[in-house]
Amino acid sequence: MSSTSTTTTAVTLVTPMRPAEGPWRRAWRQFIHQRSAIIGMAIIGVLVFTAIFAPWIAPFDPTEVLLGKEEGIQKRSGPCLHLFGCPPDRPQHIMGVDGNFRDLFSRVIYGARLSLFIGFVTVSISVAIGVLLGAVAGFVGGWVDNVIMRVLDVVLAFPFLLLAIAIVSVLGPGLLNAMLGIAIVSIPAYARVIRASVLSAREEEYVLAARTIGLGPLAILFGHILPNAISPLIVQATLGIGTAIIEVAALSFLGLGAQPPTPEWGSMLSAERNQVFTAPHLVFFPGLAIMLTVLGFNLLGDGLRDALDPRLKV
Amino acid sequence: MQTDTPVRRQAPVVAMLLTLLIPLIAACGGAPAVQSPTEAPAATAAPEAPTTAPAATAAPTEPAGENQAVYTTENGLMAVAAVECGGNYTGLLKEIAAVDPLTVRFTFCVPDPAFRAKAAFTPFAILPSEYLESAGGTGELIERPIGTGPYQVESWTRGDNITLKRFDGYWGEPAKTETLIFRWSAEAAQRLLELQSGTVDGIDNIAPDAFEVVAADPNLQLIEREALNVFYVGMNNTYPPFDNEKVRQAIAMGIDRQRIVDNFYPPGSEVASHFTPCAIPNACVGEEWYKYDPEMARKLLAEAGFPNGFETVLEYRDVVRGYLPEPGRVAEDIQAQLAEIGVKVTINVIESGTFLDKADAGELKGLHLLGWGADYPDMTNFLDFHFGAGASKQFGNKFPDLVEALKQGASRADDAEREPFYVEANNLIKKHVPMVPIAHGGSGVAYKADVRGAFASPLGNEYFAVMDPGGRKTFVWMQNGEPAGIYCADETDGEALRVCEQVTEGLLAYEIGGTEVGPGLAEECTANADLTVWTCKLRSGVKFHDGSDLDANDVVMSWAVQWDAANPLHKGRDGSFTYFSSLWGGFLNAPAE
Repeated sequence: MSSTSTTTTAVTLVTPMRPAEGPWRRAWRQFIHQRSAIIGMAIIGVLVFTAIFAPWIAPFDPTEVLLGKEEGIQKRSGPCLHLFGCPPDRPQHIMGVDGNFRDLFSRVIYGARLSLFIGFVTVSISVAIGVLLGAVAGFVGGWVDNVIMRVLDVVLAFPFLLLAIAIVSVLGPGLLNAMLGIAIVSIPAYARVIRASVLSAREEEYVLAARTIGLGPLAILFGHILPNAISPLIVQATLGIGTAIIEVAALSFLGLGAQPPTPEWGSMLSAERNQVFTAPHLVFFPGLAIMLTVLGFNLLGDGLRDALDPRLKV
Repeated sequence: MQTDTPVRRQAPVVAMLLTLLIPLIAACGGAPAVQSPTEAPAATAAPEAPTTAPAATAAPTEPAGENQAVYTTENGLMAVAAVECGGNYTGLLKEIAAVDPLTVRFTFCVPDPAFRAKAAFTPFAILPSEYLESAGGTGELIERPIGTGPYQVESWTRGDNITLKRFDGYWGEPAKTETLIFRWSAEAAQRLLELQSGTVDGIDNIAPDAFEVVAADPNLQLIEREALNVFYVGMNNTYPPFDNEKVRQAIAMGIDRQRIVDNFYPPGSEVASHFTPCAIPNACVGEEWYKYDPEMARKLLAEAGFPNGFETVLEYRDVVRGYLPEPGRVAEDIQAQLAEIGVKVTINVIESGTFLDKADAGELKGLHLLGWGADYPDMTNFLDFHFGAGASKQFGNKFPDLVEALKQGASRADDAEREPFYVEANNLIKKHVPMVPIAHGGSGVAYKADVRGAFASPLGNEYFAVMDPGGRKTFVWMQNGEPAGIYCADETDGEALRVCEQVTEGLLAYEIGGTEVGPGLAEECTANADLTVWTCKLRSGVKFHDGSDLDANDVVMSWAVQWDAANPLHKGRDGSFTYFSSLWGGFLNAPAE
């Protein structure tokens, strides 16, 4: 009798416990409960979809000059949608026609492809270099740490965009150089984040354990410390993609980034900036595209931080 | 095409170095090379002969050989002369002499039929000789030139505005407003916004798309400016494949110029049938330019050895001028057009000053977009400046047959007599295709509706003293850019010349709003029979802004400091005095290249 009661107690004690929940799973659960994060993810989902299927979505080639190919086409004419009263005998231009007789909608669509590419590549370059520098600095410490971090401090001391402009002026204008310039100036941010994580992680007991069983420093750094230091980096990188896109757009606006006729949002804005009163749609749509994209990445980054940062846990 | 691969590989290193070097460079570059304090002894010479030639103890920049300039002063009347015509001296002027206090005589080596038109041009304005001596070569001359004009310089806030005040001792009709303010913005949209919101009274170069907006606005008036300019696509014949005449002709036929003018130029513009706009005498004689013919262009390219076309760059500066209202759009349209004949073009935007320097030095290897606005209405201003013996290396090696035709044309006075040479010159330009003339671009100036006497000058030198902004005391004008300096003898930028036009005056003047040459500080300039001696009678009773009287010595002095490169006062902003050398053939004691 008494034994049975013991078992039942044991059972009642055990049943409410769910199977052990991993940190990533918990983070995901927290993540999907935030509305802003979901919106961010939706925006980026649409963006990725647009980028992948651009050739099927865009009605025209983004660099095709329609003058002479399309009857009665007007330079900088506004959006023409049959649904909203545009005469059905006129071809549709969802966002209008730009100053060089190209379909703006197709250009904005292809611009999504370019912007995503810019965001990911730029951030990948700076994360790769930043993580390596930050991890080494934090793990090795001593004078190595000092040298690396002081050099990065120098980079950090310059205004972000100004240094990028200086680098692009040295390398020559062009999309790849603009991306490289932005990548270089964002290295310190990643290096600092990862160094801070490594500094705290290397004092953990599992590191001591790994050292005790005779693992080498590289194995400890890459096998044990970095995986545990990575969550702030994910947040930083996601936010960084948005920043990178807007900075490259800024460089393109100044004529240092994408070269014509590449459909890049920043250069599209720049090309039609003087028509802001006479043909506002030409600056509105590319501007809106930049804004939505950056908003998407920022919302996603904020959501990730809320989900991943243990200090913010409720 | 330049490749940047090796640089890119070292990018991180470069960046690191850069970050460390920038402060250093800034520190060193900030201090300009200090000018040698050694000055030629002229300024301290006898008071009645202040411009005694700097003697043999000359600066090291002087060319080898003896001084080419002879300065004399007799009875207080100055004269400057060249030792001889020809030799190292390439110029047209032989002597400038004050004959009596109100008469100046210009003697030339060869006949100069365009003297009157050139003498009216802003850079050859008259400044008081005493002021030139005291302020010459200093920043004061560049920022506060003293002239005889209806306005005098009050202040110049760099980056913001130039304020001019009415000069009450003006010899002619006084200015209508007390104050004239120049402001600037590179963005057409901003200029229009300022005008609409009422903070300025007039703006330059409205955007082509805004013509209708301005015309429809009852508060504004739109004035179209005559197209006395040319926009062209230049090529340099020293770089392949443009060293091949057939390639250049193919480019000429592969650009649909009508399409460019129809779509990217405001009303009042026209396709260029010749390099020089037809309003200028003898401009449109000879054959018309090639018709658009992409088939023939492809055929020519194949004959030249490029059946599949080639790759090149198209370089331009993103600066709006009357001849090129939408640089970016036109560049991209030419890019798309040339793709049709197989020429793959990469667009490269270069900063304005660098672009002009590179063009002059012949360093632009592909196609380039540039234009030219008339300074004075004569063929020599267009053709000789670009293709004549004294032209820059912009288009590469000169064409001897064209140079000869222009030389013949320039030395004759009568338009009918000059015609056959310009027929030949125009035909040779068409044959050799140093560049493709695209358009003569009309532009638009807008004023508030209540501005009385508003006009637009075909030469771009609007004269604001005659405009009355509805009784207000201040007239505010907004143009494209800030002048670099306003001692206009050493400026070429129209934005600077327009400011000088209000402050200083030349011997002769262009008719207000036109191109006819009329009296200025001189009542008239008359020539002898073979046009080698021009005599100008000065107006009496003309006062400078500093209160001194105009006399013949001021004229001699104002010209001599430009003419003689060894004169200690031959100093301006950068000392190039470009217009003097290109319009009058060259300097005395020109520094060796």
